[in-house]
Amino acid sequence: MPDRAGRDRPARAVRGNVLLLTVLSLVSLAPVLVLVLTAWQPPARYPSLWAEAARGNADGNVWTTILQNTTLGRAMLTSLLLALLTGLTATGIGFVAARTIARISVRARRLIAAAAFLPVIAPPLALGIGVQVFTLRLGLGGSVTGVLLSHIVPAAGYLTLFLLGALTAYDSRMEDEARSLGARPWQVLLRITLPALRGPIVQAIALGALVSWGQVALTLIVGGGIVRTLPVELLAFVRAGDDRLGAAAAILLTVPPLLAFGLVQAGARRTGVGA
Amino acid sequence: MSAVGNGLTLRDVTVAFGPRVGLRNLSLHVAGGERVALLGPSGVGKTSLLRAIAGLDPVVAGRIDVSGRDVTQVAPERRSVVYLHQTPALFPHLSVLDNVGFPLEVRGVGRAEARERGMALLARVQLTESATRSPSGLSGGQRHRVALARALAAEPDVLLLDEPFAALDPALRAEVRDAVFAMLEAGGARGAASPTSGLGPAVLLVTHDIDEAATLASRVVVLMDSAIAQDDAPAELLARPRDVGVARFLGLPNIIEGVRDAHGLFRSALGTVRSDGSEGRAWFVSRADAILASREDRQRSAADDDARTIVCGEVVSVHDRVGGVTVRVRVRVRDRGQAPVRVGAEETVDVVAVPERGVALSPGDVVTLRVDLSRVSVTPDPIRHV
Repeated sequence: MPDRAGRDRPARAVRGNVLLLTVLSLVSLAPVLVLVLTAWQPPARYPSLWAEAARGNADGNVWTTILQNTTLGRAMLTSLLLALLTGLTATGIGFVAARTIARISVRARRLIAAAAFLPVIAPPLALGIGVQVFTLRLGLGGSVTGVLLSHIVPAAGYLTLFLLGALTAYDSRMEDEARSLGARPWQVLLRITLPALRGPIVQAIALGALVSWGQVALTLIVGGGIVRTLPVELLAFVRAGDDRLGAAAAILLTVPPLLAFGLVQAGARRTGVGA
Repeated sequence: MSAVGNGLTLRDVTVAFGPRVGLRNLSLHVAGGERVALLGPSGVGKTSLLRAIAGLDPVVAGRIDVSGRDVTQVAPERRSVVYLHQTPALFPHLSVLDNVGFPLEVRGVGRAEARERGMALLARVQLTESATRSPSGLSGGQRHRVALARALAAEPDVLLLDEPFAALDPALRAEVRDAVFAMLEAGGARGAASPTSGLGPAVLLVTHDIDEAATLASRVVVLMDSAIAQDDAPAELLARPRDVGVARFLGLPNIIEGVRDAHGLFRSALGTVRSDGSEGRAWFVSRADAILASREDRQRSAADDDARTIVCGEVVSVHDRVGGVTVRVRVRVRDRGQAPVRVGAEETVDVVAVPERGVALSPGDVVTLRVDLSRVSVTPDPIRHV
């Protein structure tokens, strides 16, 4: 309806929303855009501090350098392994914890949920030092297992809360009826609980993997520079002063999470579970 | 209670209701093939009792036998007891047919056979065309029918129905009730009886609705004050509630205070009745159809036998309901007619009656009430069970 100035208010509101969304999209996409442009820009003219990167820069093909770099390949494999194991393990821990929390009284639930979130709100540096002491005592300092443990701690906290939310919407009466219909506890878990919660569980695994995938501080503190993951190598590129290689490695770091997110969303749409 | 070889037997069962004790020392037997309704106010512990029988919650004390086997400490899946929630908890990730076949598959029946038997059950609830659909696409009534078919696929010895029709609108309620009735009459998954008992399942049904209980069950157990207040056939329960508390809970329309003398004569605003019981305050109780309202302005005559008492009053309201028309009639207890007797401070009592056939009554009409004494009862104050 036109106001006193004769302008159409709904149309104005739509224009305002479009402008707002455009600004938000630009803010979100700008870093990615900068990465892409940097990765494909001509080679730098000043000498690189990192020899291998400098060799790549010599012929100007940064992607050949990235893909032929065996250190980077190993780092990527380590990152993938850590992400996968973190996603699976933290989901398992988060699922059990969330189920336990969901069954207790509301007051106790709040308290324990807050405790589960503690590793998430603690600064990574503080958490890292705590976990480092723990892993050193276990003799796992500087090992992939130690780094894995350090990634699982915050991921399990996130996922406990995430799965607690999913379990709130889950109809646990199904489990009662399944038992009453003759299903044993393991049959209830495999045939009712897990399939009914498939969407949230897959999302939790992806979320846990993402927590590990982007982890730098904990990896450096607990891994002591011995365990090399993709973010750690990326940091090395940046410290070496090669923006092109850094940007290319950053794109490499961004693609798997985007793929995982897309697959999870597609799966949720297809099955209608957890969408 | 005698030992029984089939059905469900509770012996001195005590169950918790939240942090407190819900029902105490409850003893009850439901024979195989028998249908018993549990009726009681909210919070008395009806659902807690069903969950305890199903093994989903522990009992505080007592023993539960199913088909002569003590199952008090047995896991839910090994009790042969199926518990159905008020709103069916169908498995959303399984098709309708797979839902019905679920109890068979978890017992080791092959998938093909489970599906075949599932289809037979779906045919009995007229849902074969929905076999491949997701439960989320079903209406409320269809979901109930699938849940029932699934329950019977388990061929239980005991079937527990927790307010199975409460969440349905009246039209669907009738549809589902008929389906339940037909299924229970026909027997279990194979169209026959439970393999253990040789009869159909013993059915324990929780409801708030006495009409529903009377329709589906051959016995109604009223739970009040943590115990069984009355266990009777529906007609007997409505005609002779054990005490005024039960009568009030059942919603009997006429509950009128009176006095019983030392000679066993009970006097109230609706006349004098001979009744057994102790001297003092008691209550006249009846359904509406035990009292007939007519325009006839007459006193007792030779045509009236001893089984009737007559009082006069004024119509205060007319209620046109699905079950028929009733009128609320105000009787002045100070009148010196045939019967009115004043008990307490009230000067009038309201009586709910049925108009004589063909008589249309309106508020303000003066009517004669004829009370069929064979269909009324005199009942004491609430009996405390604790």
